[in-house]
Amino acid sequence: MARILLIEDDDGTADEISLELTSSGHGVTRAAALEPARALSTGEPFDLLILDRQLPDGEGLELLSDLRRNGQRTPALVLSALGSLDDRVRGLRAGGDDYLPKPFALVELVARVEALLRRPNDTRATRLIAGPLELDLLAGTATRAGRPLGLLPRELKLLDYMVRRAGQIVTRAMLLRDVWGYSFEPDTNVVDVHLGRLRRKIDGEGETPMIRNVRGQGYILDAPL
Amino acid sequence: MTRRFDPRTRSTWRWGGALAAMLVVQSLVMTAAFWMLANGSHRRAIEHALGEDCAFFALTPAEERPEELREKLTRDIHRDRFLGLFDARGRLIAGNIARLPTAQPKNRSFVADLAPTELPGKRSDEARVMVCPMPDGTRLLTGIDLDDTEEALQLIWQSLLLGLVPGVLLAVAFGFVAGRRAARQVDTVRRLTQQIVSGDLEQRLPVAPYPDSFGLLCAHINTMLDRLQQLVGDVRGIGDDIAHQMRTPLTRLRARIDRGLRDAADRAAFAAVADQALAEIDTLLGIVSALLRLREMEDHARRSRFAPVDLARLVDDACDLYRPAAEDRGLTLLCSIEPVPPVEGDASLLMEALANLIDNAMKFGPAGGTVHVSVGLLSEGAVVSVAVDGDGIPPADRAFVTQRFYRARADGGGAGLGLSLVKAIADLHAFDLRFADTGSAVSLIVRRSEARASG
Repeated sequence: MARILLIEDDDGTADEISLELTSSGHGVTRAAALEPARALSTGEPFDLLILDRQLPDGEGLELLSDLRRNGQRTPALVLSALGSLDDRVRGLRAGGDDYLPKPFALVELVARVEALLRRPNDTRATRLIAGPLELDLLAGTATRAGRPLGLLPRELKLLDYMVRRAGQIVTRAMLLRDVWGYSFEPDTNVVDVHLGRLRRKIDGEGETPMIRNVRGQGYILDAPL
Repeated sequence: MTRRFDPRTRSTWRWGGALAAMLVVQSLVMTAAFWMLANGSHRRAIEHALGEDCAFFALTPAEERPEELREKLTRDIHRDRFLGLFDARGRLIAGNIARLPTAQPKNRSFVADLAPTELPGKRSDEARVMVCPMPDGTRLLTGIDLDDTEEALQLIWQSLLLGLVPGVLLAVAFGFVAGRRAARQVDTVRRLTQQIVSGDLEQRLPVAPYPDSFGLLCAHINTMLDRLQQLVGDVRGIGDDIAHQMRTPLTRLRARIDRGLRDAADRAAFAAVADQALAEIDTLLGIVSALLRLREMEDHARRSRFAPVDLARLVDDACDLYRPAAEDRGLTLLCSIEPVPPVEGDASLLMEALANLIDNAMKFGPAGGTVHVSVGLLSEGAVVSVAVDGDGIPPADRAFVTQRFYRARADGGGAGLGLSLVKAIADLHAFDLRFADTGSAVSLIVRRSEARASG
């Protein structure tokens, strides 16, 4: 359970986001303008900021820049109707940790929130273990319960990404951006096809499926302990 | 009551005033030059005559001088000569002048007021004179009346004034006409621009067949209006397109939800309806996003984010991304990659363009066919091209496929925005988008100049 400050001036959108995050078990505090948000964010500590860019009394990024100047490192997810990559770059430059253009699916938002709350800290590890899965990144091999999976380099990279975010939803856009390095939304289900192949290699006959499809929006790698 | 100053009359005064001033200065200079030249020549002639008189009387024997002098005066029918012979004490011996002028520079002519003795009613008269000493100690004064010179000067002044009056009047009239003409042009332009501002974008400013600088300005404004009209038309067209494109799926969506509310017997049936509705909404959002991206692409500020992109790697990544999807559909994805020099661009956008082309090839190519993606250097520059078995887009459709919402085939699904987006991305990068004359290849061509300019 994380404490999230949601700065969004559209009540309808704020309601939906708030409901979705609360049902995922997070505590949400809402602010509809820059000034109350400023007061709130300097008062109590939050685990995450979600902020809209166009607010009635100014630009959300200004608040973010101010917070960062004052040494606040709370991760921030920037929302915006200005769905251009330039804005994305400006958002990230102002200290945002991720950027989500409107319109977005709530699942995507939750996935990004989870990803920000649980940023993989040990990124240098070369041996990763998630349940029966074991990845040796130096050797470029992966096994499930000792059985070699015979993954192609790209599949290994995919699995690496998912294992590091075990238990979180990762969306297609996140995979495309972080595994392939391109941010765009393809028409066809190219990412699904890659995931499908990976799943077929991981889940052998009679084994519990480890990667779950979340209602058409993303995937979760379950790592039973 | 004060009348408000009309700024348009400014040009009248400026043109008229400038022209009048020019005329006045010109006339003054001309008159002065004429006067100086004419006067100089006249004075030399007078001095010559005076000098001759002195020489003549100096050679004449002393006793004959008074007689000679009187004779000379009687011969002077114009009465413009002055002669006087004075003794050493300055008393008049013979002549028509009462006394010597007080100042008498030696041996050169000067202008002096004389007291004529034989001109009735004239006590004093201006003349150019010379006083020369005679061998016997007497002095001879010889002079020529300057009345005619003064008259000439007066004449010149009069003609100058007479000439200047109509000249200045003409200048003011010209200024008035030129100013009126300029004001009329401005009025026309203002009237037309007011119409344009109020929404009549068809109006154009008048341009003469041989335009002056004002006409050229109007021509430029007209070009700007053409572009503006085209843009406004585009925007209107897009608005209409969007309305049409959204109406059908929205109607379908509404019907579906309506039916779900009415007919769904259980929770599962309702969930199925909701799922379908969500999918429809996602499609609609996809259209909206694609339109936003198209708009964004036309905003060329994005170029500021360009960085060197390795097209070979891009194609390699695209093949890697699409190969499983192609195989699942029973298609073969063939990639031939040759190294090309890096181009300035946005890797994600170029990938999006390439992905769209591959998508199209997979969607519209024949079942079991081969999609061929290649990158390499041709004579015109670096070329990324996607081809599939068959003839590709029918030639008649090629001019239209890059237009928004145009679908060459109704069975393909999609909103008909894919190739518009590819074209917009190509335009943003100043790449050519080309359809092969035969076969289905669609190519992005990085012209050589562009590759060079990007280093």
